[in-house]
Amino acid sequence: MIKFLKRFYLGIILLFLYAPILVMILFSFNKGDTRADFTGLSFQWYTKMFQNSTLMEALINTLVVALCASVIATILGTYIAFVIAKMSPANKSISMKLLNIPMLNAEIVTGVSLMFFFVFISVSLGFTTLLIAHIIFDVPYVVLSVLPRIRQANKSVYEAALDLGATPALAFRKVLLPEIMPGILSGALLAFTMSFDDFIISYYTSGPGFVTLSVYINTMTKRAIPLTINALSTFIFILVFILLLVTNLKGKKATDK
Amino acid sequence: MSKKINNALKCIPVYLWLIIFTVVPLLMVFFYAIFEVTESGGIRFSLEYLKDAISNPQYLDAMLRSLEYAFFSTLVCLILGYPLAFILSNMEERKRNFVSVLFLLPMWMNFLIRTYALSSLINEQGVVTKFLQWLGLLEGSITGTEAAIIIGMVYNFLPFMILPVYTSMLKIDNRIVEAARDLGADSFTVFQKIVLPLTVPGIISGITMVFVPCITTFVIPQLLNNKVWTIGSLIEFQINGNANGSGGVNNTAAAISFFLMIIVFICMSIFSKFDSDGAENGGLM
Repeated sequence: MIKFLKRFYLGIILLFLYAPILVMILFSFNKGDTRADFTGLSFQWYTKMFQNSTLMEALINTLVVALCASVIATILGTYIAFVIAKMSPANKSISMKLLNIPMLNAEIVTGVSLMFFFVFISVSLGFTTLLIAHIIFDVPYVVLSVLPRIRQANKSVYEAALDLGATPALAFRKVLLPEIMPGILSGALLAFTMSFDDFIISYYTSGPGFVTLSVYINTMTKRAIPLTINALSTFIFILVFILLLVTNLKGKKATDK
Repeated sequence: MSKKINNALKCIPVYLWLIIFTVVPLLMVFFYAIFEVTESGGIRFSLEYLKDAISNPQYLDAMLRSLEYAFFSTLVCLILGYPLAFILSNMEERKRNFVSVLFLLPMWMNFLIRTYALSSLINEQGVVTKFLQWLGLLEGSITGTEAAIIIGMVYNFLPFMILPVYTSMLKIDNRIVEAARDLGADSFTVFQKIVLPLTVPGIISGITMVFVPCITTFVIPQLLNNKVWTIGSLIEFQINGNANGSGGVNNTAAAISFFLMIIVFICMSIFSKFDSDGAENGGLM
């Protein structure tokens, strides 16, 4: 009985979370062009999606920004994490507090404040401002996933490498870096997803000349979202689903061994 | 000695980064809240906007309403998410990993699209609305009510509550639970004396991760009930919606943002009072 109740509860919540998504996926295969009634099966929205140049441009823009921002933020964040790890406790506490601000503050305030900042130094809004804004909110996520790894890293192995005649650069590359790599990778992944999904900050820091997917979708919601957007989101969703499934299975195999 | 100087030198770029890109933009909000740009291009000091932001009944009303929505949404997320995390953490490992991925997967879909899809279920023609009308529980539609906003917020932010609570539950050392049972504690006592206190950091970081985005979102009200003003939609309206705002600097928006920022930081410091080491241990990672 209790087991049934637990399953039922999980099921209800999953239904709540997935019902809108499933309906959205269903209508991406609609023959008609409304989301009010389903008239038959067709792949027309998928072909139209690839033909829609504005939509494809927005997708490419989003990918370019997310990729550039996450790579730069990963390098910068890892560097900052190393510096913070060596700081005195007082300095560490101040920099961690400052670092946390973009994560804790309201997104709209971060977006608006960056927009004001760019306007104040009279940089016109566009790709550069968007990229800088993304790097700014990505960096804390990287630092927070790298820092614990640095703290856990075994210092004596690094020192042993130095004693055996390795230069600090070589010892860093061969000993320290592999140890903290999982933290760097998960930080990079987190940064990429944050950038890819971001709407509010992008909305305020990108100009009309450079539109990302979220910003494009937002302008669409003012009227009615065309079903090509359903097709594109379904496409991305399934891609992520497969990716997660593969990594999950791989991880399982690794633990089984 | 030279090593010490070397370390200090390394700190400088980090501080520069933090100050230029974190502190200065926030100061910019304060700057534009008290200085307006005149037509000739000069700047003029004025406390009018700041005064307006904290005394205009429309703004105050929006602020209180946003706090109210955020409070109820966070409460619902906690009530729904806590038992869920508990059930998940008690599952066997293989199953647990799979099911927890199911709960996180929706976060990888763009939230605008998800919210839009939700609105298509609960608007006048929506399946859920039709079903509830058929049952006689509802007249009209769900969208356009205050409940719609709460539903939208819970729908969007529930995973942010589940995740930290679930992580903190997995961290509980099973030997403590076993020891308590050996000493004669029943399930309720184990929950009350062990599980609940040990998951407080998770609860606090869950509350933080849900509450703040709930106060400030303008997309959810815009899509599910555009008749009410929240503080987020007010800022957005000042910047992009009205005649004098065309996407640029707006003094009223700056003043309201400044006010909002203060409220958020007050809320954060209240939350962190309940949790002495939450920032280090709880949270996402």
